[in-house]
Amino acid sequence: MKTTRTILLAALLSATALSTAYAADTIKIGVDTPLSGTYAGIGQQVKWGLELATKEVNAKGGIMGRQIELIYEDSEANPAVAVQKAEKLFEVSKVDFLTGTVNSGATLAVGQVAERAKKLLATTVSFADSITGEKCSPNVFRVNAKAGQQSTALAAWLAKEKPKAKVFFLGPDYLMGRSTVSAFKEAAEKVGAKSLGEVYAPLGSKDYSQYFGQIRAAQPQVLYTSVAGNDTVRLFTQMQEFGLLKNLTLLGASGTVTSQNIAAIGKAAEGFATGVGYSTEIDNPVNKAFVAAFKAANKADPDLYGTDSYGLIYAYKAAVEKAKSTDTDKVRTALRGLTWSTPQGEKTIRAGDHQAMQTMYVVQVTNGQFKIISKVSGEDAIGPDTCTRF
Amino acid sequence: MVDALTRSMRASHLLLAILVAASLVVAAIGAALGDIFYLRLATEALIFGGLAISVDILLGYTGLLSLGQALYFGLGAYLSALVLMVVPSFWAAIAATTLASAVAGLIGGFIVNRVRGVYFALITFGMAQVAAKIVYNTRALGASDGLIGVPVIDINLGVTSISSGSPVGFFLFVLALIVVMYALAAYLLDTPFGRLLIALRANEARIPFLGYRTMTPRLAAYVVAAVIAGVSGALYPMLRGFVSPELMYFETSGNAVITVVTGGTGTLVGALYGSALLTLLKSVIGSFTPHHLIVIGILFMGAVIFLPKGIMGSIRPAIERMLARGEKP
Repeated sequence: MKTTRTILLAALLSATALSTAYAADTIKIGVDTPLSGTYAGIGQQVKWGLELATKEVNAKGGIMGRQIELIYEDSEANPAVAVQKAEKLFEVSKVDFLTGTVNSGATLAVGQVAERAKKLLATTVSFADSITGEKCSPNVFRVNAKAGQQSTALAAWLAKEKPKAKVFFLGPDYLMGRSTVSAFKEAAEKVGAKSLGEVYAPLGSKDYSQYFGQIRAAQPQVLYTSVAGNDTVRLFTQMQEFGLLKNLTLLGASGTVTSQNIAAIGKAAEGFATGVGYSTEIDNPVNKAFVAAFKAANKADPDLYGTDSYGLIYAYKAAVEKAKSTDTDKVRTALRGLTWSTPQGEKTIRAGDHQAMQTMYVVQVTNGQFKIISKVSGEDAIGPDTCTRF
Repeated sequence: MVDALTRSMRASHLLLAILVAASLVVAAIGAALGDIFYLRLATEALIFGGLAISVDILLGYTGLLSLGQALYFGLGAYLSALVLMVVPSFWAAIAATTLASAVAGLIGGFIVNRVRGVYFALITFGMAQVAAKIVYNTRALGASDGLIGVPVIDINLGVTSISSGSPVGFFLFVLALIVVMYALAAYLLDTPFGRLLIALRANEARIPFLGYRTMTPRLAAYVVAAVIAGVSGALYPMLRGFVSPELMYFETSGNAVITVVTGGTGTLVGALYGSALLTLLKSVIGSFTPHHLIVIGILFMGAVIFLPKGIMGSIRPAIERMLARGEKP
C-alpha cells in the first residue's frame, strides 16, 4: 500500500516537473475561437490554418528554438464567453499571444481584455472596419482584409471595367447589410460611379419581384447586393426568370455567393464578381504549396479564414525573431511595419492602425467556378488611416 | 410560533451563510495566491446568480415562468455602461438602472400579466427577443458589436473606495450587494405579500374569494424581479468593461432558468448555488471539450430526474427539520 502511494506520488511529481519544464520552453499562443455554435465552421478553418503553420514552424525548429504550443478555448461566438475565456488564457494558461476571435463584437471586447492584461491580440477573421478604425487599440492587430479593402478593390475594378457605371443597390434590411451597401456605394462614387437608387429587402425574403419594377425603371448597368445565403439563391434566380440579368453586371459582398450556395444559384450566378482577400486560385509557389499541404492535412480546401490564420503564425514568428523576445511592447514594435510572406503574397502591417495591407483580388463566376479576373495592390485598397489612439 | 414558510426561509438563510463563508474563504485564498481569473469568474457567477434570484421570485414563488428575464438584465447592463462612460460613478449607474428597470418592469408587467401559463412564458420570451433585436440594429448602442470602453471605476463607499478592477475587492463588493438583494427578496417573500404570491402559485382562482386582487401582487412581483435583474445586469459592464446584445438573448434567460431549476426552485439561495456550480462547470468542461453543452445538458437532465427539487431543494428539508427540533419548547 505504502509503496503504491510512493510510486504514485513520484509519478505525479515527475509529471508536474516535466510539464513545467515543457511549458517554460514553449511559446504559448491562445486561440479563443468558436468551436461550437453558429460560427463553428469558421473556427474549424482557423484551427486548421493555425495548426498547419504551427506544425511547419515547429518542424523547422520553432521560433528562436522554442516550440509553439496552441491552447484552445471555445468562445461559442458569444463576446461574453469570449472575454471570460480570454482572461483564462491570459491569467491561467499564461499565453504569450492571443488570436482566433471571429465575430467583430468578440474581437473588440477581447481586445480590451488584452489591453488591460498588457498582452497582444490579432484577429484573422473579423472584418468590421472599426477594429482598426475608430475603435482601434494599441494591443490589437488584424492580418486579414477589412470590409473596406474588399469594397475598394471591387470599386477599383468597376471603374476600370465600366467607367462611370450606373449602379443600383439592393441590400438585406439589417445593420450589417446596410453598412456593407453604404461602404461600397461610397467607394464606387469616389471612383466616378453614379448611384441610381437603393432598396432594402427583409432578411429571408421569399419574393424579390416587388423590387424589380424599381430596378427596371432605373435602368442600371450594375447591380450591387449584399444579401447572403439562400436569399442570394432566390434573388438571382428570380431576376433570371424576369429577364433582368441581360446586360447587367452583378456585384456583391464576399459572402453573397459562396461555395455553399453557388450550386443552387446555378446559371444565374454567371458573371457575378466580388472583391476578396484570398482565393485558392492565386498563382504563386507559396500558395500552391499551402493549398496542397492544407488539403492533405484536412481533406478540405482552405478558405479565407484558414489562410489568414496560417499567415498569422508566420507574422508572429517574424516579429518575435525581430524583437528577440515575446515581450508585449517589443513584439508590438516589431509587428508595426512588418512585411512577411503569405499564400496571399506579401503582407505589410501598417504601423498607424495595425491593419495588414495585402493585394486584393476581384473574382468572377465563370462556368460555376470563381476565377481571379483582377488584382488591386495593397496600397490602393487600404484607404486612409482613421485610427487616432496611437 | 414559527410557520413552515418562515422556517424554510431560515433554512435558506443558513445555507446562504454557508455560501458567504465559503466565498470569503475563496476570496482569502484567491487574494493570497494573487489569482485574477477565478475571482473574476466567481464575481460573474454572483452577477448571474442575481439574475437567477429574479427568475426564482417569479418561478419559485409566484409560479410564473419567465423566459425573457435577460431583457431587464440587458437593460441594466446597457444603461450602466452608458452612464459609466459619461459619469464614472457607481451610484449614478445603480440609481439609473434601478429606476429604469422598475419603470420597464411596470410597463412590461402590464403587457405580460394579461396572460397566464405558457402564454406568459412566450410573451416574456418574445419581448426579450424584440428588445435584443432592436439593440442589435441600433448604431448608437454599438449594434451587433456592442459597446466597449466602459472604464474601470472606483466605487465610493464613504469611508473607503473599491476599484472594480480589483479582483478580490470587487468580488467582495458584489457578494455584499447580492446578499443585500437576497435579503430584500427574502424579507418581502416572508411578509403577507409573499404569502399571497405563494397562494397565487398554488391556486390563482381562489385568491379573489379570499378578498385579494390578483393583478397587483403579480405585477409587484414582476417589478421586483425586474429591478433585481436590472441591478445585477448593471454590475456586468463594471466587471467586464463591455456589453453586447448577446446579454439579452434567450441564451442568457434560458441559462438563468436552468440555474434556478438545478439549484432548487423556490429556495432563493438555490439560484446562487446553481450559478456558482454552472459557471464553474462551464468554464472547466469548456476548456476540455467543444462538446461541453452536451455535458451540461446531461447534468441538467440528471438533476431534473434525480433531484427534481434541485440541489438546495433536496438539502433544505433536512435543515428545516433540524431547525424545527431546535424550536421545540
